[in-house]
Amino acid sequence: MKSLTKFATLIAASTMLVGVGAATVQAADSLYTPNLTYRTGPFAATGIPIMNGQRDYINMLNARDGGVGGVMIDFDECETSYNTNKGVECYEKTKGDAIVTQPWSTGITLQVLPRTNVDRIPILAPGYGFSPMSDGNTFAWAFNPPVSYWDGASMILNGISEGNLDNLKGKKVALLHLDHPFGKEPIPVIKALAEKHGFEFLPIPVGLKEMQNQSAQWLQIRRERPDFVVMWGWGAMNAGALTEAAKTRYPMDQFVGVWWSGHDADLEALGAKGKGYRSLSWNVPGNYPVMEDIKTHVVDAGNSMIENADEMDSTFYQRGVVMSMYLAEAIKEAQAKFGTAKINAEQMRWGLENLDISEEKLASLGMAGMTTPFSTSCSNHTGHGGAWMLRWDGEQFVQDGDMLSPDRDLIMPMEAEKAAEYAKNNAPWPGRGDLACD
Amino acid sequence: MFYKTSGQFKTSYKSDQALFPVKQDAWLLIAILALAYVVFPLTANEFTFKALLVPVLIYSLAAMGLNILTGFAGQLSLGTAGFMGVGAYACYKITTIFPEMNIVVALALSGFFSAAVGVAFGLPSLRIKGFYLAIATLASQFFLVWLFEKWAWLYNYNASGAIEVRTMDFFGLTVTGPTATPLTQYYFVLGIVTVVTIAMINITRGRYGRMWKAVRDMDIAAELVGINLMRAKLTAFAVSSYVVGIAGAMLVFFWKGAAEPNLFDIPMSFQILFIAIIGGLGSILGNFLGAILIVALPVLLNVLPDLVGIQVHSAAMEHVNVMIVGALIVFFLIVEPHGLARLWGLIREKLIIWPFPH
Repeated sequence: MKSLTKFATLIAASTMLVGVGAATVQAADSLYTPNLTYRTGPFAATGIPIMNGQRDYINMLNARDGGVGGVMIDFDECETSYNTNKGVECYEKTKGDAIVTQPWSTGITLQVLPRTNVDRIPILAPGYGFSPMSDGNTFAWAFNPPVSYWDGASMILNGISEGNLDNLKGKKVALLHLDHPFGKEPIPVIKALAEKHGFEFLPIPVGLKEMQNQSAQWLQIRRERPDFVVMWGWGAMNAGALTEAAKTRYPMDQFVGVWWSGHDADLEALGAKGKGYRSLSWNVPGNYPVMEDIKTHVVDAGNSMIENADEMDSTFYQRGVVMSMYLAEAIKEAQAKFGTAKINAEQMRWGLENLDISEEKLASLGMAGMTTPFSTSCSNHTGHGGAWMLRWDGEQFVQDGDMLSPDRDLIMPMEAEKAAEYAKNNAPWPGRGDLACD
Repeated sequence: MFYKTSGQFKTSYKSDQALFPVKQDAWLLIAILALAYVVFPLTANEFTFKALLVPVLIYSLAAMGLNILTGFAGQLSLGTAGFMGVGAYACYKITTIFPEMNIVVALALSGFFSAAVGVAFGLPSLRIKGFYLAIATLASQFFLVWLFEKWAWLYNYNASGAIEVRTMDFFGLTVTGPTATPLTQYYFVLGIVTVVTIAMINITRGRYGRMWKAVRDMDIAAELVGINLMRAKLTAFAVSSYVVGIAGAMLVFFWKGAAEPNLFDIPMSFQILFIAIIGGLGSILGNFLGAILIVALPVLLNVLPDLVGIQVHSAAMEHVNVMIVGALIVFFLIVEPHGLARLWGLIREKLIIWPFPH
């Protein structure tokens, strides 16, 4: 009993301590860029390689160049396990000194989005979040470069129709998607294109609980015999779908995934059986000079969390590197514009809004061809670059064909409409407010 | 010494049946209320409000609702999160259909929707008991989450499939949405939780509470002494789901600000059941103690290394956290299988006779 009372006093004491002030202590001369990671929980397997890539690129900049513009980057991680409750906790914990926040899961992004307007912290959500975020005049504080899910849906259809959507006329395209806000994202675009170009669209939802057992869905696919299966999956769903596809002998070259459905480890498990599977990706894995720098300054120095250097070749690790590159380049833009190395969150927002990732810049960073060139603006917070198809050749992902571009003429009005709807639902929505566009 | 009861004489039946027969209990409660109403608001920062105080209160309320059903009426339920979802979605629909409605009225009304759904899913309890009933409520859990996903009208055909909370005022004070200050939201939640807690203490001490306890302890005997089992069980389901529904609506409106359907999935049902069991079934106080252990402790453990200045990677801390909380649950259940409330009861008894144990 005595130990219990002691324990109770300990709890009480720590409650009081936290009550008085739980502000996280930050070094004075650094830029604090928290990342709400999920290295634990149900999606950890796909999260870890990306988050390692993100972390290692920043560590490399810190080691090689002494940070960005002479200021070290404090790249802190706060673990959410992909749990939205922990997302609130992490956002509140890190927002004090943060110049940017990376919320990861769509659920956490939705929770955090309205608050960032009030707290005045930009959200950087590369390749995720919801597509209307591209409308910078409504979502002044949110950025999802280089392409949105709607762009992705359009590019996948461009890819499978070999550039002319009318080739799909009379065909059947199934969308195997996670039954979750993330998985439902592409539906409006594919639906609109199906009506316009006369192909049949068949959405097949996979519940969060059925991710690993998709026999019902694949039975339906066998019965319906779609000409193409497009996959919008994450975590365990991808591996489940690929295994079922191999088992039911669905032709792999008619099976295409979004960029989150291209995890090397999932396909390595299938090996040659997965040959021909394609995944859209806005980064192409390969040997780039920047990877050499990361190896010398971080991995060989023992500062990385990866277990062996081979992991650096994976698509997801390199995508993490690309994501952190966007972050660092936005910091550079802001530093150049405001003439100070220690920028604040509002200046960082400007940097993200004026991000210009050109071919020359990529080459100077040692990343030529690694990701798509794009630039953001006041009205365009996504950049809408392009993406490539990666084909699994039985051993690894290789680039398949030229870069694809989204059908912006179709998507733009949809973005504007949905952004307006969001603003209306969340009235009074501040929009751009007093933020100048220059 | 601190809990000396000698000299506190009771001269009437009324004083003998009072809520606090021992004066010190009342003083302790006043101290806790002062802490909640005065000390915390003066000292806490935004993080403490958002990550500790508000979630603890909301989860305590949800566990209290479940405790009415499981702890007082003895009907095991695994569908708590589903009923919370009904409350949240009902409140969302009410506030979007009638934007002018006062948020408190909307909250109170949304409780009725979850109560109705609770009663509907409580009907099987008239025929089945124990584990069989648990499975029936589990069915409601699956069904409701499925419904939240498929019935687009519920989330106003929102592209994201989630419900989002707009900014709402309560007599000129912004209480929901991003511009509401954490302090306002905390007071609002605290006020509602206080009112509901007082109501629940009274209900469980009164006629219905006694009826439920009789049914819990032996339903055949209860029927023989003239208790209408159907009425007892269904009122338990109704009251329980009402409280749970309000907690669900508050979870979304005053804490998270947005919610996806799968938030209301089984893991949350289990979390609330854990709070109720570890806190103590058949107790009101236990829900608060349980929520502190299950909801607040992990958050405290996460910030502890920072406070004492140790560098631990966040993911490693998360693993340690899961282990510590798991170990503590096992520890507390071994030390006192009847929950933290019973543990407090024992401590209190010892204090009363201290320092002369015989």
